Amino acid sequence: MEKAMDMDMEMEREEEEEEETESVSDVLRDRFRLSTISIAEAEAKRNGMEISEPIVACISDLAFKYAEQLAKDLELFAQHASRKIVKMEDVILSAHRNEHLATSLRSLCDDLKAKEPQSERKRKKTPRKENKATTSVVHIPDN
Amino acid sequence: MEDENNTFDPDLIHAIFKLLWTRRALERERNDVADALDCEVGAGTSKKNRQTSANGKAIKLSCELLRIFITEAVQRAATIAEAEGASKIEATHLERILPQLLLDF
Repeated sequence: MEKAMDMDMEMEREEEEEEETESVSDVLRDRFRLSTISIAEAEAKRNGMEISEPIVACISDLAFKYAEQLAKDLELFAQHASRKIVKMEDVILSAHRNEHLATSLRSLCDDLKAKEPQSERKRKKTPRKENKATTSVVHIPDN
Repeated sequence: MEDENNTFDPDLIHAIFKLLWTRRALERERNDVADALDCEVGAGTSKKNRQTSANGKAIKLSCELLRIFITEAVQRAATIAEAEGASKIEATHLERILPQLLLDF
């Protein structure tokens, strides 16, 4: 009997915990949606189109689902490389099925890398070795 | 300038990823506890369950990936809407492009 009560309490506590993370993720989801709205509306304007609100909301939900999937993929890729830290190559790998996307991400990755040594205001201690390793793995035709 | 305004805040994406990773780490931990009760050799697994984190540049790249996803959705839907002579993107337009979009990402 007592054991059952303990179980109940435990369940309750877990539920509370879950609720808390749930509400945190609600805030994040809302912020995510706001960003999506501004991106989507700007893009529609650029195409000389209006976009109805439910559609933006729908695209936002899709993007959030995609972000969740992406997070899962990135974690698995990093783990597969026996790393605890997700690196740019993992992100590129997640887009490997779409060649155009992978190529544009790679060029952006190179841009970011090129920027890094000049602006060392963040002073993150990333060993040089790492950078070299990634550049030797990723071959990009300059075009 | 418009570009700079219209992208995701890396901190936001980082927070979302972190939340998901924490959740998964917790889940793994729970599963491990269950396993340990079953077979009593759960020692030394805590190291394996350390939480994933991300490099700042990787987060930036993910932001860009998500931004591209959204702009692609809008652009493709806009093309369809234009072909139909509409001036506003509606549900039917999104429906038309959705299957291919999801295959591409």
